Amino acid sequence: MDAFLLALGGVTEPYTLMLMAVATFAGIVAAAIPGFTITMAIVLTLPLTFAMPPMQGIAVMLSVYVGGLSGGLFSAALLGIPGTPSAVATTFDAFPMARSGQPGRALSLGLFASFVGSLISIVILIVAAPPLALLAVKLGPWEYFALIVFALTIIASLVGDSLMRGLIAGLIGIAIATIGPDPLMARERFTFGYELLTAGIPFLVVLIGMYAMSQLLSELEPTSSSQQASSSSLVSGDMRPHLWDVVKSTMRKPINIVRSSLLGVFIGAVPGAGSSISNLVAYDQAKRASKHPETFGKGEPEGVVASEAGNSSTVGGSLIPLISLGIPGSPADAVLMAAIMVHGISIGPRLILDHPDLVYSMFIAMAVASFFMLFIGILMMRAFMRLLNVPKYIVVPVVLACCAIGTYTLNNRLSDLYLLAAIGTIGYLMKKLDYPLAPLVLGVVLGPIAETNLRRAFQTSADWTLFFTRPISALLLTLAVVSVAYSIYSYIRQRRLLAQRADAAQNNAYQDGVSQE
Amino acid sequence: MERKNPDVALVPMLQLASYVVLATGAIFMAFRAGSLPASRWEPMGAGTFPQLVFSSIAVLCVAALIMELAKRGFPRTTLQSAWHRLAALKSVLVNLGLFIAYMIVMPFAGFILSTFGYLLLAQLFLAPKRPVTLLIVLGVALLFSFGPYYLFADVFSIYLPRARW
Repeated sequence: MDAFLLALGGVTEPYTLMLMAVATFAGIVAAAIPGFTITMAIVLTLPLTFAMPPMQGIAVMLSVYVGGLSGGLFSAALLGIPGTPSAVATTFDAFPMARSGQPGRALSLGLFASFVGSLISIVILIVAAPPLALLAVKLGPWEYFALIVFALTIIASLVGDSLMRGLIAGLIGIAIATIGPDPLMARERFTFGYELLTAGIPFLVVLIGMYAMSQLLSELEPTSSSQQASSSSLVSGDMRPHLWDVVKSTMRKPINIVRSSLLGVFIGAVPGAGSSISNLVAYDQAKRASKHPETFGKGEPEGVVASEAGNSSTVGGSLIPLISLGIPGSPADAVLMAAIMVHGISIGPRLILDHPDLVYSMFIAMAVASFFMLFIGILMMRAFMRLLNVPKYIVVPVVLACCAIGTYTLNNRLSDLYLLAAIGTIGYLMKKLDYPLAPLVLGVVLGPIAETNLRRAFQTSADWTLFFTRPISALLLTLAVVSVAYSIYSYIRQRRLLAQRADAAQNNAYQDGVSQE
Repeated sequence: MERKNPDVALVPMLQLASYVVLATGAIFMAFRAGSLPASRWEPMGAGTFPQLVFSSIAVLCVAALIMELAKRGFPRTTLQSAWHRLAALKSVLVNLGLFIAYMIVMPFAGFILSTFGYLLLAQLFLAPKRPVTLLIVLGVALLFSFGPYYLFADVFSIYLPRARW
């Protein structure tokens, strides 16, 4: 109780609340700008939190996260372009709704759904994380190693088009983490005499280079969507939020919002599967459950609610493995992990036991940020419409410069800037060659944990069969094999379906030709 | 199923090349890891885990290469097609070049000057050439070169690199 009151007092300090409001606003703006992702926004906030107390810094970063998850709604509804991948399904109905003269209502629906989704996810986080952490404390190095193998295979099979390239990317991430001192004995490895490698490659530099730089550079490629973005004009119409009507109509049929939120929490808790998947799954489920599925895609309010509740509720879900196991499920969570570690607090199942005040402050901060997100979003709808028009020639160079600031301020090391340029170039190349980058980034984070636990397991006992005879370890390794097997099975099935479709199309074309003759 | 269109075959061709490069690099690194001294205190030395990882990368790359070749054959592309694709990425390449130059110059020229120069050049390259845009470009370059420097110094007591002259 003392820890909870301490956390409540810390988060509700006027200065912290003001910072959180600004951060929520910044998160919404960042995610609303197409090409600017939530991870980028969180990474760029990190250096600003170095000088803050841990509780305040984490509260600010979580506010950016919560704001960012609903920010994609604005560009989705007003431009028809998802600001982030988590708002793809939002465009299906929010944009037609806005085009039909109800932009205010479309935004209010999305914001309210995001708000409810966030709150539901926080409740589940509060209920699920502490017992899971208590269980995790009892896990040995065998189970932890197996857990990381499972997490990496799941990430590799969920992200990208090729399981093989996903696995290779994950292993490259782990390989990058082996450069520098080894995690147990601090023996120098693979530095080749270069001073800039002696301390290893900081994972945030990898994250900024791989994620932010490659994404920003991709934004400069000539695409039809960028032409569409620049040519499309903002929608006009009734910009009044009609909040009370929206609340009434949504809560009259609560099943959709609750189902979508629960799906979001569950998908968020699975490593690698984040808001970019949950919004589509929630939308699909809402459409299947609807009595009038034909209205979906034509401005159906339930579609907007499902997508936004689905993406915003991942925030609570994704924090479950982070808080209870110390395993980040997405690059954004990895940055949050780094933000906590910067203040000398180690992440893992003991976090909740050793720093309950910090964990409670995370719960409270997320709830407060959800309120801020709703009110800032509603009050500043018109202002956001203007902000969406920031041209790419400003966004890309400015954010790249901010990446350089973020990289330098992590360790005040100029050599990190060279690493950033090199890693960013490699990241862009890998992106062009269709290697998924999320497994790589998470590989850098999870690699040292995997190595430490593997070596500790062998220090305890040289018997390697323990990995397969201890029940939890065996279960996790089996799940890892199943996830790879399932991914291969889905790939083969997809190829067979595509081949069948191609055959059918060829047959149809042939029959058309015969009938014409 | 041979991919005969040189434009379509370019990325698969580069992917195959990447498997070869990665496998070669991984084999080299696996040997380097093997040469790290064993530990007296534990069965696994500092080199065992990296050796496992690099060996796995090499195996996966070779497997991916063989599977790709067996399934789809050798993709045939042309230098002309590669050149066209590279030319289409002019904006990206120029910006990347400017950014790399910015990173190299910053330790010597300091944050303010290098950031101002980078933002000015990158925006001038990307922005439509109109008098109003020039003013915006200049304003943004000034704001984001001086602004963060003084924000970090005065508010967070973090000093961004200063010029070395």
